[in-house]
Amino acid sequence: MLFNAYNVCIVAELLGAFEQAVLLSIWSLAEEAYGRAILRGVQAALNRQVAAGAVYATLDRLEQKNFIHSHVEEGTPVRAGRLRRYYRLTPPGIKAINESRAALEQMWRGTKWPLGSKA
Amino acid sequence: MARHKVALGVESMIEKAPPRWLEGMLLHFLAARDRETISGDLLEEYREEQVPRFGSLRANVWYLYQALSLISVWDLLGSVLKRPLIGISLFTAAAGVWLAVMENILQHAGYAGRTVIAAWMTMQGLATLLLPMLDGRAILRALLAAGAVALGLFGAAAVERILEAPHFEGFVLLIGCALVTQGLLTVVVVFRPRHGKML
Repeated sequence: MLFNAYNVCIVAELLGAFEQAVLLSIWSLAEEAYGRAILRGVQAALNRQVAAGAVYATLDRLEQKNFIHSHVEEGTPVRAGRLRRYYRLTPPGIKAINESRAALEQMWRGTKWPLGSKA
Repeated sequence: MARHKVALGVESMIEKAPPRWLEGMLLHFLAARDRETISGDLLEEYREEQVPRFGSLRANVWYLYQALSLISVWDLLGSVLKRPLIGISLFTAAAGVWLAVMENILQHAGYAGRTVIAAWMTMQGLATLLLPMLDGRAILRALLAAGAVALGLFGAAAVERILEAPHFEGFVLLIGCALVTQGLLTVVVVFRPRHGKML
């Protein structure tokens, strides 16, 4: 139990909220998870405009951590035939996102939400 | 007829493109691995979403914002410093040749050691010019930076000595300053993070 809680904390420290949004976007897009779709998915999840640079930098970081894997496929005419890079979650990536969720739930357990100001 | 109009509309949308200079700037700063995929993503979003919804002007502003978000401060710095580094490297390489020739003509005491240093200056200057070809070769880049730092320290020591010497020699001051500058620029260009802080 203690060991498990320790592991959860370690992974939760590694995954920020933005990284989680990117990973969840890749997960929900499944076979269609390429750069533009992920950018739109993250914007929808966070309900705000997101800079492409932030998304691509996060994708690069997650790939270096081996949480995602990418491959390129041919592009469509609307993008002038330029290649598309598709992403998918790896088993360590799935584990990381699951543990991040578990860590959050564990942290909030027993605390009423939303918090009110203490008088 | 209606189908023809729709087809024409789609066609003209596909022809819409961000200003060439803007796309060129983005392509210049993107890593080779990302050049086609990221610019393709932005072009797709530009044509399918931004232009139809907001018009060309706002779409161009959107594209500029996204392009700037993809350029890191370090990439920008590296790009700005590249030309001065090339210029200084050419200068120190030429100065090395000149020093070596002069030392061997005059043959003052200890000239052999100074000839070796002059040859090192030339080799270092020429190797720095090959820096763009060393992408992804971390060990060679680190060796190049180490050599530049060592020569920079040597240059700083030479500058210090000449400022305290009874006989001032301007060429030593000039070459010493060039070596220090070359060392600093090489370190910044070699060790700048690939994904630094985004603008």
